[in-house]
Amino acid sequence: MPGVALAREYKYMCSDPGQELIRQDIRDHGLDRIVVAACSPHLHEKTFRHAVAEAGLNPYYFHMVNLREHDSWVHADKPAAAAKAMDLIRAAVRRVRWHVPLERRQAPIHANALVVGGGIAGIDAALTLASAGKHVYLVEREPTIGGHMAQFDKTFPTLDCAACILTPKMTAVKSNPNITLWSYSEVRRVEGYVGNYDVEIRRKPRYIIEDLCVGCLECIQACVFKQAKVPDEFNLGLGKRKPVYIPFPQAVPQLVVIDPETCIEFKSGKCKKTCVEVCAERNAIDFKQKEKIENIRVGTIILATGFETFDPVRVPYYGYGLYPNVYTSLEVERLVNASGPTGGEIVLRDGRKPATVGIVHCVGSRDVNTNRYCSRVCCMYSLKLAHLIKEKTGAEVIEFYIDMRAPGKAFEEFYNRVAEEGVSFVRGKVADIYPAGNGDGRLILQAEDTLLGMVRKIPVDMVVLSVGLEPRPDANDVRRLFNIGCSGDGFFLERHPKLAPVSTFADGIFVAGCCQGPKDIPDTVAQSGAAAAQALALIDAGVIELEPNTAYVTEDACCGCKTCIPLCPYSAISFLEEKKARINEVLCKGCGTCVAACPSGSIRQNLFEDQQIFEEIGGILTYA
Amino acid sequence: MGACSVTLETLPRFPEGKELLTCLQCGVCSGTCPYGDVMEYPPRRMIAMMRAGLQEKVYTSDSLLACVACYACQVKCPRGIRLTEALLPLMKEQALTHLPELPGELQKALQSTLRYGNPMGEPSRKRAAWVKTAGVPIRILAEDPRPADVLWFVECYTSFYPRGQDNSRATARLFHRLGIDFAILGNEEKCAGECGRLTWEPGLFETLMDYNMAIFQKYRFDRVVTSCPHAHNAFKNRYPALGFNWGLEHTTPFLAQHLDRLKPLLTRKLNYTVTYHDSCCLGRQNEFYEPPRRLLKAIPGLKTVEMVHNRGNSICCGGGGGGMWLDTYFKAKGYERLSERRVKEAVATGADVLAVSCPYEVSRFEDALKVVGYDKRIVVRDVTELLAEAMEE
Repeated sequence: MPGVALAREYKYMCSDPGQELIRQDIRDHGLDRIVVAACSPHLHEKTFRHAVAEAGLNPYYFHMVNLREHDSWVHADKPAAAAKAMDLIRAAVRRVRWHVPLERRQAPIHANALVVGGGIAGIDAALTLASAGKHVYLVEREPTIGGHMAQFDKTFPTLDCAACILTPKMTAVKSNPNITLWSYSEVRRVEGYVGNYDVEIRRKPRYIIEDLCVGCLECIQACVFKQAKVPDEFNLGLGKRKPVYIPFPQAVPQLVVIDPETCIEFKSGKCKKTCVEVCAERNAIDFKQKEKIENIRVGTIILATGFETFDPVRVPYYGYGLYPNVYTSLEVERLVNASGPTGGEIVLRDGRKPATVGIVHCVGSRDVNTNRYCSRVCCMYSLKLAHLIKEKTGAEVIEFYIDMRAPGKAFEEFYNRVAEEGVSFVRGKVADIYPAGNGDGRLILQAEDTLLGMVRKIPVDMVVLSVGLEPRPDANDVRRLFNIGCSGDGFFLERHPKLAPVSTFADGIFVAGCCQGPKDIPDTVAQSGAAAAQALALIDAGVIELEPNTAYVTEDACCGCKTCIPLCPYSAISFLEEKKARINEVLCKGCGTCVAACPSGSIRQNLFEDQQIFEEIGGILTYA
Repeated sequence: MGACSVTLETLPRFPEGKELLTCLQCGVCSGTCPYGDVMEYPPRRMIAMMRAGLQEKVYTSDSLLACVACYACQVKCPRGIRLTEALLPLMKEQALTHLPELPGELQKALQSTLRYGNPMGEPSRKRAAWVKTAGVPIRILAEDPRPADVLWFVECYTSFYPRGQDNSRATARLFHRLGIDFAILGNEEKCAGECGRLTWEPGLFETLMDYNMAIFQKYRFDRVVTSCPHAHNAFKNRYPALGFNWGLEHTTPFLAQHLDRLKPLLTRKLNYTVTYHDSCCLGRQNEFYEPPRRLLKAIPGLKTVEMVHNRGNSICCGGGGGGMWLDTYFKAKGYERLSERRVKEAVATGADVLAVSCPYEVSRFEDALKVVGYDKRIVVRDVTELLAEAMEE
């Protein structure tokens, strides 16, 4: 092959001896260009560039032929694939001649971090980063941090009280000087790039001056609403709150919120304002409070925006919203909880105690009609609820399951324990739920007991739908805001499912917890720790090395048409009157869109120069 | 899947067959099947048996005769397995071949359909006889072959059965008042054959398809509107393989599209409380849940109530998949008649009228009401009949 001074075949070129072979050949034969045709640049481009650099050559005098994704993995016809490999090698040899030496650039990294979402994932990540001495902005949409975990009663399989293990962490967030907690706030705009993200945060008015409120809650007591009348979001509407409220007793921050939708002062302006009277000289209530915009610069971002439980109205034949005694599992968490709307009594909406309870698994999971994936936590929390219901009411509890999934530490043992306690199990997906028809308010759960091979119609007093976990409804907007991806199921996409599970395709942005996919608390906390470690590794280094395959403008040729500017997915191109289009090298990811679009041909790209591409095409098309 | 090209043996090579490999064995099919508790091999076991190579055991039992092709299993299947469209009819075909004797009533219906083009065995030259009683002009294409906007495919029960003709007369009046340019095939029309297909008589179905397609091609029209959800099903899913590419509507959603113009015509107050029964082909198969309800709510004075099982969870009248002609057989086996199960739910709503939009249902429910002794408490009316009644002359 013209231009080739030396060709070698070696089984594991990526191994140490293989790399040494390259280094030795460069020294012995004075090679000035290297082509490796093996495996995938995805895995080993870095390895070989490094080896080439160690032998004293510019690492960009190297080119790798992708024999894996471009050839062996995608073809079944072996001789044809071998011929294609030859063509690809010829193309690489012709292109690499035109390579020029390039230098990697460095960009500084801002040491602060942003954590979006104040559930257990966000709390844990923020605490880890703060304990490493980094300043963390923790932004939470709701008035309090705590997320879904704060709504749970006990946690499986150990039956720890969720609040008992969570609230110390919530308090730690509040008292940590390295954490700026902005609850009732949302990220509105994100600009910049790894190491230097400029973020705009909107802080919604809670009509309470944070610095003046002492969290005495006297205003709630004094509110002109003598009875709580507004459905309480934290208790999923099972309880009531007043227009001035605190989501739950251990809320962090310990600040009340005024809901302008229901507050009389907001609706009529004619309230006696007994809340203001009782607040007195503290003067913490401000009905005229406006939203506030905060602008911060951070080096890294961790997204921990969590999940939403599946709305079972989408499975109409389960009767949720139609039959009052059909509950979601999250509602039952609140019913079981001592600080819940019933003080921990498991009672039906009419006040009766249930004697028979059916728990329906896989509602909104493992189903092409709703979500195809397994939500991972429902089997275990259903077992936990079965245990708690049985413990508190002595009711007969029947679990209707398809497959019992208990793959975690001490999970199977817990399944065993719940079975021993006398919970019954019917293997079959519930097909229909309807009233018994004799006026006793019971519901019939109809399912095939697949192990018995018969259709069973079991009357129960209470139905618990074990609802699955879904991406937040605005996950797609959030994804765009942070310029990351979503997988087919709608959860945020990690960079690699095995080897980069908390990274995203946006450098410096990491994911933790259920926003990336359904997972239980142990997995969530493990993942938030990993995300914090990755974020820390990035910002602690102070600088980041960037690949040189960026686009650049040859200014003489630029006609200033601005075609490239809106096309750039990374907002890396700006326009200067005197210099015309200018590409920010730190922002440029080398996608080549502007290069292809430029009508005057004035934008070029390192490692993808016209000459290199034409030679590559020539190499492929040469008949050998 | 082509018209009738797949057999039980070749099924595993088609996408519908590959789906069977993904079955979770969750049993939601058997649990929701209206006859799931009486079948020896309900759908879940059928799939398990097939995967174990024991399908012969399934089709040598008579489980499949109880399949009323109601799509209940298919719409709830978490793996999206096309049970009603693929597996069940193929199994049924085999089951019928292996029966020592076809149930008499069914055999007679299939023979009549072949011979006369309708399952009742009525003479085909009398198919358009009802037209004279319609009270409005109805153009028959054989007599006046000018192009028409709508080819109204009347179908069998609505042509011959007296209570079905009420539906046809009502439809004709509605079309006429709405100024729709419509025509019918008259005596040239033959059953579209969907129930033939679902009871899996492929030969019979193909004969009818070929016949009706040849007639369609003689005339010029823009779309087919049919009163029968089963015919709609056949035209939508099977006839396109033979070149059926006209627009297609069922009468009920078609009328709902004209609600703006229809509503001012509905001037007579009907003080009825109505419960609507979702037919399987119109509902689960095509998700036309709201159009009939919108039509009913447009009638002044009329109140609607829902049965416990409604929309996607509706209970079949028992007439599909050949069930129309298996009542005697089911009775002999001691099965509960589904039409009786359904009218009990309708009566429990306290409604005066059970509204339907499939011609099978009028006869099935009226009969069931007599059997269970509720015929004084509720009447069965097609949605079109109610609309026509609300339309003063």
